[in-house]
Amino acid sequence: MRTEGSRTNDSGWIYTSCGGCYGQCGIRVKKENGVVVKIEGNPDTPAGSGRICAKGSAQLMTLYDRHRINYPVKRTNPEKGVGVDPKWERVSWEEAFDTIVTKFKNMKDPRGAYFQATTVQTSEIRFAVPAFMKAWGFKNYWVSGGGLWCGNGAHFMNGIMHAAWSIIPDWNYNKYTIYFGCSKGHGAGHAALQTAQWVADARAKGMKAVVFDPFLSTQASKAHEWVPIRVGTDAAAALGMVNVILNDLKIWDAHYLKQKTNAPYLIKADGCYVRDPETNKPLVWDLSANKAVPFDAYEMSLDVNPDLALEGEFKVNGTVCHPSFQLFREHVKKNYPLDKVEKITSVPKSTLRRIATEFAEHAQVGSTIVVKGKRLPLRPSAAIFFRGSQGHVNSGWNCLSIDLLNQILGAADVPGGSMGHGPPVSHGHPATGKPNTIPYACPDGLLIVKGWVYDHKPYPLHEPGPPQRLDLQDMFPCSVYNAFTICTPEWEKYLKDFKIDYRPEILINFGSNSVMTMANARDVTENFLKKFDFILSFNIYQNEFTEAVADIVLPDTCYLERYTPCVTFPSTFCHPTGMDDWVWQIRQPVVEPLFERRDFNEVMLEIAKRLGIQDKYYEAINNIIPIRYGGEMDPKYRLDPKGDYTWQQVVDNVLKDRLGPDKGLEALKKTGLEKWPAKVEETYWRWFAPVRVPIYFEYFIEGGQKLMKVLKSFGREDIVDIRFYTPLAEWFPCPSHENASGEFDLWAFCWRPSFHTQSSTQNNPWLDEVSVKDPFVYLIQINEQTGKKKGLKDNDIIWIENPDGKRIKGPVKLVQGMHPEQLGIAGCHGHWARGTPVSRGKGVFYDDLINPDLKHTDSLTQGTDACVKVKVYKAKEGEI
Amino acid sequence: MPRYGFVIDLKRCYGCYSCQVACKAENCTPKGIDWARCIQAEVGQYPSALRQMLPTVCMQCDDPACMTVCPTGATTKDENGIIQVDKKLCMGCKYCIMACPYGARQVVANWETYFPDAPGDLDPYEAYAKKRWEEGRAGYGMATKCDYCMHRVKEGRNPACVDACPAKARYFGDLSDPESEISILIRRERGFQLNPEFGTNPSCYYLPPR
Repeated sequence: MRTEGSRTNDSGWIYTSCGGCYGQCGIRVKKENGVVVKIEGNPDTPAGSGRICAKGSAQLMTLYDRHRINYPVKRTNPEKGVGVDPKWERVSWEEAFDTIVTKFKNMKDPRGAYFQATTVQTSEIRFAVPAFMKAWGFKNYWVSGGGLWCGNGAHFMNGIMHAAWSIIPDWNYNKYTIYFGCSKGHGAGHAALQTAQWVADARAKGMKAVVFDPFLSTQASKAHEWVPIRVGTDAAAALGMVNVILNDLKIWDAHYLKQKTNAPYLIKADGCYVRDPETNKPLVWDLSANKAVPFDAYEMSLDVNPDLALEGEFKVNGTVCHPSFQLFREHVKKNYPLDKVEKITSVPKSTLRRIATEFAEHAQVGSTIVVKGKRLPLRPSAAIFFRGSQGHVNSGWNCLSIDLLNQILGAADVPGGSMGHGPPVSHGHPATGKPNTIPYACPDGLLIVKGWVYDHKPYPLHEPGPPQRLDLQDMFPCSVYNAFTICTPEWEKYLKDFKIDYRPEILINFGSNSVMTMANARDVTENFLKKFDFILSFNIYQNEFTEAVADIVLPDTCYLERYTPCVTFPSTFCHPTGMDDWVWQIRQPVVEPLFERRDFNEVMLEIAKRLGIQDKYYEAINNIIPIRYGGEMDPKYRLDPKGDYTWQQVVDNVLKDRLGPDKGLEALKKTGLEKWPAKVEETYWRWFAPVRVPIYFEYFIEGGQKLMKVLKSFGREDIVDIRFYTPLAEWFPCPSHENASGEFDLWAFCWRPSFHTQSSTQNNPWLDEVSVKDPFVYLIQINEQTGKKKGLKDNDIIWIENPDGKRIKGPVKLVQGMHPEQLGIAGCHGHWARGTPVSRGKGVFYDDLINPDLKHTDSLTQGTDACVKVKVYKAKEGEI
Repeated sequence: MPRYGFVIDLKRCYGCYSCQVACKAENCTPKGIDWARCIQAEVGQYPSALRQMLPTVCMQCDDPACMTVCPTGATTKDENGIIQVDKKLCMGCKYCIMACPYGARQVVANWETYFPDAPGDLDPYEAYAKKRWEEGRAGYGMATKCDYCMHRVKEGRNPACVDACPAKARYFGDLSDPESEISILIRRERGFQLNPEFGTNPSCYYLPPR
């Protein structure tokens, strides 16, 4: 075996960043005589503080996995499809480049290119993907994990409400956390190692955790209380509890609502703001002056408590209007009484009332604390959510409704409350002031994020217009991508109906395994992937995607073989939330790439050069950096479009620009990171940033109207349910909630084990060894009483079938930790690729139950519904 | 002389298996061999069922059953209370495996690659791990077990599983020192030994889950 890395006899520790999941903790890697022999946590970084999880330790087996792709290969079997043998044939890099360049040059229309990328290598996708798209001139992309494993609902809503990619409790002060469908602090890649310590510390100090989940997840098991809930009903439970807090307990943080939200904004009969005729500013009612005043008439400060109305009826220039808070309060009272909520969620109303009461009381509305000399509100209650809440037709509103529990109590980005994960607000490195990501206000006073992961910010909403993209996504105001267009047989009809004058031609895939992570594998393959003339894929393994459809597969490096300028900004999942230092962590190779593996970013740069578009590629990178890493580039470090750079030189420029001339690549390679102290104004930024957030989503009305206008012009109003574009939070049912057929009597859902990352880790033999011994991961969990009624026992092989006739098969485990009317499966298992023999046939492939059609799509965020109503029956003898 | 011991806080552990994999990585254990395991099972009835996590190591018992039954004298207790297996003396009779009430010992016949479907030689890491296993204190056809990572402890470091644990649920220290962190934790937080009725007086203590 030729391994270039072992030719160098170097020994010692190298400091870099993990790539086992998107958390990207700091690690150090030990080499002996050129061989990597150990991966440990880097004790010097706040992103992990020396700890390491199972996935992190096990990455050794990925670096040296003998099933990895080591040379470029091309498909010789012209047939494509799920399970097809591609009959790979090794080619030289030169032949691969020639084929790729020729394919691009022969495109009928450059817009017909499409990028698909994995979120596991989240820091890598921030350069080549957008740079190549801009340079070649196309707008189509899919981020794998999107739709199903990641997505529109949670990130969009957190961007609006917390300027952040995700939210997490401030466990430094938190005393009461409500979890909905997430495992933060219990292995989720949200600063996984740091939060695991903090949540354990908080529990030891008496923090109470309540977990709403259909099954007894790890976090539910560690919590004080597990509340079994029907899947996809999170918004109903949250709004029911909001109702209890606002209407029965009559607890809210009036000061926060008046100063930091649009709760006092006056709303007229059409649902829109009453605005000042001259300035167009939304008006609020000043009780002392007994008149309407602009929302910003008072200084926004913790010390100023203006006498503004949150309730009542007023007349402004003859128009009857009410503060939005009053409308919200009345709305939850009328529409979310606990009797009704109990029927929707299956959670007893006494439980909902008790938890709502405990949550509100623990928030200690009115209390303050001094942190590093700054007086701040202390609100030790937090309600958090993630994938479980958003994987439904009600994706967006599920997330928003849960966050409203925080907002009414002022428990947002203050000590003890729900925090934008990151933190999202950075004043920058002391030497450069970058990355600078301080949110700012729109003319209506509402929060606009500064640094963001993708170009289109969550607010202001994207302006609906005639679509340019092949998934029509640029027509929708609130989302990033969708599956209902591209993954269904109607795709061509959509393209015709919306007068898209080009067609899919080339797909470039970076690391994604979309055949297993978008929806039913055959829907994805037949309707979407097989429509491309040519598919180029960068992978470390041949997986279900490459075997089904790729034409050329290039041997990518893994994260231990590559340079990445930064993994901890934009600050999405790496930084813990607290007063720990900021850290800028790089990724550097611990061995030279083995065999003929080459780094994705380096290869895309090479392709751009061969296509003669490197000038545009460099210019695109110059434009991307200020958005992703907060702050304009110093002209000195901008890439010269006429220049010629290697990937390492690009990395060096980024580092010097963000951290200072003495912090280039050579300097950072020594320690792998640069740290600086966090300020109170950054961590607990809410009262320092002059911004408000909505509790009343007035702008959805206009967004929805504009969208419908566009849809109408194409005769396709049918693809959006306008009811979702409401200013007041709602629960809308999934098809699974409306399927009353007695035959389909169980809800199926999927969950994520802490020791796997999406579909990327199952071939790791150390993690497989853990999974084999784990009592749940490779099995279908059904409530024991339910299972017995159906005549099932442990290890029976059963079929699970959805109302569309799609079915999956696997072994049963009867458990107590499961809602009696539901069944759970660890997602992204059940691989079948030839290239990943370790994972083949282990576990159950949940996504085959998912139908990514319009009826399973959130009209607001276009997220895909992942809960399914099913029937189960034993497999016959010959099927086992 | 210190008597080395462990405290595992079941309140903090969330069953992520980081200990198990960190041990494998540190000690280059062959396929199927785990010296630090995390056993998980469900207890109780719906809706108040719980997932119980029980991470284990060798209990390094003060009165070890494995040592009593060893016919060749291969198993000994060293001055720090660590139970050692002498590679030269162990004949692989497995009496100790039967005798250990905590299932801490395993035996492996030979090195099996983790990539049986891949053609060719072992990869550089597996070749390194195999060599280390063969040249180290353990081997094939003999009883193998956790020794609290004495090679790390001698360098002033914690056992690998202790340093890895994301939740800081594991503590290592000196049981003979009443002021050591683990002695204090055991005293103050109701530390208990697993199945004390076996009468072996383990050096690993647990703190209650609730």
